[in-house]
Amino acid sequence: MSEVRTAPRGFEGLIKRERYPHTWCPGCGIGLIFNNIIRVLSEKGLDYSNTAAISGIGCSGRMAGYMNMDSVHTPHGRALPVAEAIKLVNPDLNVIVASGDGDLASIGGNHLLHTSRRNPDITVFCVNNETYGLTGGQLAPTTPKGVRTITSLNGALHNPLSMQKIVTGNAQYFYARSTVYHLDHMRECMHAALEWPGFAFVEVISDCIELHGRRLGFKTPHEMIATYGEKYVLAPAGRTELAPNELGIMTKA
Amino acid sequence: MQRLVQGNEATFQGAVRAGASFYSGYPISPSSEIMAEAAKYSASHPEFRFIQTEDEIAAAMSVLGASLAGAKAFTATSGPGFSLMQESLGMGYMSEIPCVFVDVQRVGPSTGMPTLIAQGDLLQVQHGSHGDYYSIAFYPNSVAECYTLVGTAFNVAEEARQPVILLSDAHVGHLYELVDLEALATGVEVLPRALAPLGGHTRHFTGLISDDNGVPRTSDYQVYRRWLAKVKERSAAVAAKHPLYEYRPNPRSATLLISFGIISRTVLPLTEQYGYFRPIRMLPVLAEELREVAKDYRNLVVVEANDGQYASLVEQALKRDVARVPVLGGKVSPAEIADRLAEVIGQA
Repeated sequence: MSEVRTAPRGFEGLIKRERYPHTWCPGCGIGLIFNNIIRVLSEKGLDYSNTAAISGIGCSGRMAGYMNMDSVHTPHGRALPVAEAIKLVNPDLNVIVASGDGDLASIGGNHLLHTSRRNPDITVFCVNNETYGLTGGQLAPTTPKGVRTITSLNGALHNPLSMQKIVTGNAQYFYARSTVYHLDHMRECMHAALEWPGFAFVEVISDCIELHGRRLGFKTPHEMIATYGEKYVLAPAGRTELAPNELGIMTKA
Repeated sequence: MQRLVQGNEATFQGAVRAGASFYSGYPISPSSEIMAEAAKYSASHPEFRFIQTEDEIAAAMSVLGASLAGAKAFTATSGPGFSLMQESLGMGYMSEIPCVFVDVQRVGPSTGMPTLIAQGDLLQVQHGSHGDYYSIAFYPNSVAECYTLVGTAFNVAEEARQPVILLSDAHVGHLYELVDLEALATGVEVLPRALAPLGGHTRHFTGLISDDNGVPRTSDYQVYRRWLAKVKERSAAVAAKHPLYEYRPNPRSATLLISFGIISRTVLPLTEQYGYFRPIRMLPVLAEELREVAKDYRNLVVVEANDGQYASLVEQALKRDVARVPVLGGKVSPAEIADRLAEVIGQA
């Protein structure tokens, strides 16, 4: 039998391709975020030799395990204290966190308050799909008021948590918001976050089509993702706070 | 040189001697002096990393992260904090991360009696996190032993690749005794790290059951069974190297007192009348050693500051009735213990 040769798919050194197929549903925004994190890491020269990836629990929490580097998949909500300790022990190692909104801002909310305050030099990529996808589409603290989930049948009763306000409540901060519709902007935010000498938090609005979007009436992931293009606009220069429908990078050194 | 040293201080100094270079913690009585020592030490030794976290969950998780990053790492707490740390301990067992947790016990449950002595966390040490795992725990009863046993705990953690618990209690932790730490230090063996630090590899450390390559295998019972058998065997083999106890036979007595931690100091005067066995390795239970010693006695009595936790473990191990003298609510009275002892022996 002759040897089968395949064309390179890209980022061979940064993805544990042997673990594919991955766990995410077709159409899930995590794929776009994962792909672009990998692309940005590659452009920055970050790989297994100088970087470790930390995740929590949830669909987004599976990202670290597919990265071809030392990675830690912590219990639910605990990525930040683990990442901060790793950075403290080995300041030469680049430490990135990739996880979801429920993990980082709900069960891990106390750690978000305090790790961001202590300002270690780590970069956090937060997938915000406004729901708990892995467990079936429950209400998350990021679910907008009025949105129906399987645990908020008449619509979410409360206003959503602002991760922006938690992070930018500190004396120094890096906070960026982008979406899976705005891929160039997403990468720009990720690049800037990795360059930031301190705690950098990138929130990426993303779709969970199968366990959230379809219940909201979206027929396809494309339809759901396209709404981000309609809803979100780039913040005008000089802003110190992003409005709920704005994308941008907020920093204070 | 001899000087007055507190139990909690000795625990910290012993950890440093054992190679610890990371401490994270959250203040809680009666363990707080260990964290204060860590803060003080790190101020003049920047290679020793210290972080005061927002809660005990973060403290315990930081210990795991620090250990993975290359530091011998530990934390200290008391009951309420130890409850919050069970999640991290579970990951420590599942992901096979060497580290040391010190539990300076106080009266529980819940906030209980924060400054008073108890020994009621024993079964939590054994089974406090969910699922099956194999705890190893040591329990000093003197300041000198705080210093040496924490070193044993660090070595066992590396060898067994798991969290190891150093039990203490409000009185052992706050006890001041004349000790010569420098002299004790010369006898301490320090094992190297079992794990290469993070960076330069492609390993995956996960709380999920995973195969030898770190790939999660959450639907394969064979992978789970193989993993559990492996850690069970390794844990038991390492623990077996440290069958630590103190035994003072009393051929004139038909009764063996079993006691540990500060309560073992309280019952010492009673060794005139009774045999005395002090387990130092609390978990796994010293089944063979106890069986050997216990065969010379008709009555076994565990005197402990809880309602019979170790007694139940001894009963299980020896398949013999064990009488209980509970020392409850932080009141430790030799006279009360002697009276209660006479009563239970009279009933036997």
